Amino acid sequence: MRKVKLTFLALIAVILGLFLHYTLPQHDVVRVVGTYQERQDLNDWTRFFWSSPDTQSGTLTSRDVQFIQTVKPNGKPMVYRNEDTGWGWPPYFKFDTASLQTESDDLKSTREAPKWAVVTHYGWRNELISIFPNAVSIRPVDSPDVTIIPWFNLFFFVAIAALAFLIWRMLAQFRERMIDPAMDRMNNALDDLDARADAAGDKARGFWGRLFGRGKR
Amino acid sequence: MLGFLRLMLFWSVASAAIYWLLLIYSRSLRREALEKEWDAAHPLETDSAAREAFIAEGMAAYEHSLKRKLLIGVVVLPFLAIALLLYLVNYA
Repeated sequence: MRKVKLTFLALIAVILGLFLHYTLPQHDVVRVVGTYQERQDLNDWTRFFWSSPDTQSGTLTSRDVQFIQTVKPNGKPMVYRNEDTGWGWPPYFKFDTASLQTESDDLKSTREAPKWAVVTHYGWRNELISIFPNAVSIRPVDSPDVTIIPWFNLFFFVAIAALAFLIWRMLAQFRERMIDPAMDRMNNALDDLDARADAAGDKARGFWGRLFGRGKR
Repeated sequence: MLGFLRLMLFWSVASAAIYWLLLIYSRSLRREALEKEWDAAHPLETDSAAREAFIAEGMAAYEHSLKRKLLIGVVVLPFLAIALLLYLVNYA
C-alpha cells in the first residue's frame, strides 16, 4: 500500500514537473540563421503542441506557421516556431509574432561574423513528432557567454511557495475555528443525548417498578 | 475576442472566489486576536456579554480598516498582472 502511494505521488510529481518544464519560459543563446513559413497539418494528436489562435476557425485542418532557424554556440541547430498565444494557454499574451519574425530576420548572421541573441521560449523540440518550442522574444547579446538570470521563474516559484504557505495556514485556521468547535459541539450533544437516554431509562424502570411492585433494585 | 472574454470571465469568477476565501480567513484571524486580547485582559470573566460586545466592536472597526479594504487588491492584481505581461511580452 505504501509503495502504491509513493508511486502515485511520484507520478504526480513527474507530471507536474513536465508540465512546468513545458510551460515556464527558458532562455537559449543562439545565432539566427534564417526564418521560414510552412503549412502545417493540424489534424493529428500533436495538435495541442501548437497554438490555437483566437481568429482561427475551429474547422481548419491546416495553416501557415512561421519558424525561426537558429544555431547554438555548440553548433547544434534549434528551430523555434513563432506563433501567437493570444489570450489562451499558456498565458504569455503574445500577439507580436510578425514583429518577432522581423526582429529575427534583422539578427540573421553567418558563422564567420556571428551575432548572438537570447531567445526566450517555452515548449519542447522533438524531431520524432515534429514539435517546436514557441519563441516569445529575442534580444541581441554581445557574446555567447552571457549570464542569464531567470527572473520570472524565480518570482514564480517564490509566489507558489507563498501561496502554498497561505493555503496551509488557511486550512489550519479553518480546522481550528470551524471543524474542531463543531466536533466539540457534536460530542457534547452526543454525551447529552446519552445522559438523557440513561435518565429516561431510569425513570421508566421506576415507573414500571412502582406499577408492578416487583424487581425492586 | 472570444478568448479575451473567456479569460476575463474566468478571472472574474476565480478572483471573486479567492477574495471571498481570503476575507473569511482574515476576519477569522481578527476575531481570534480580539478573543485572545479580551481573555488576556480579563482572565476571570471569559464567558460574558461584555466579551461579546468587545469582539463585536472590534470586528465593526475591522470592517472599516485599511487592511480590510486592501483585500480587494486580490481582485485587481490578476488583471494588473495580465496587463503587465501583455506590455512586457509585446512592447518592451
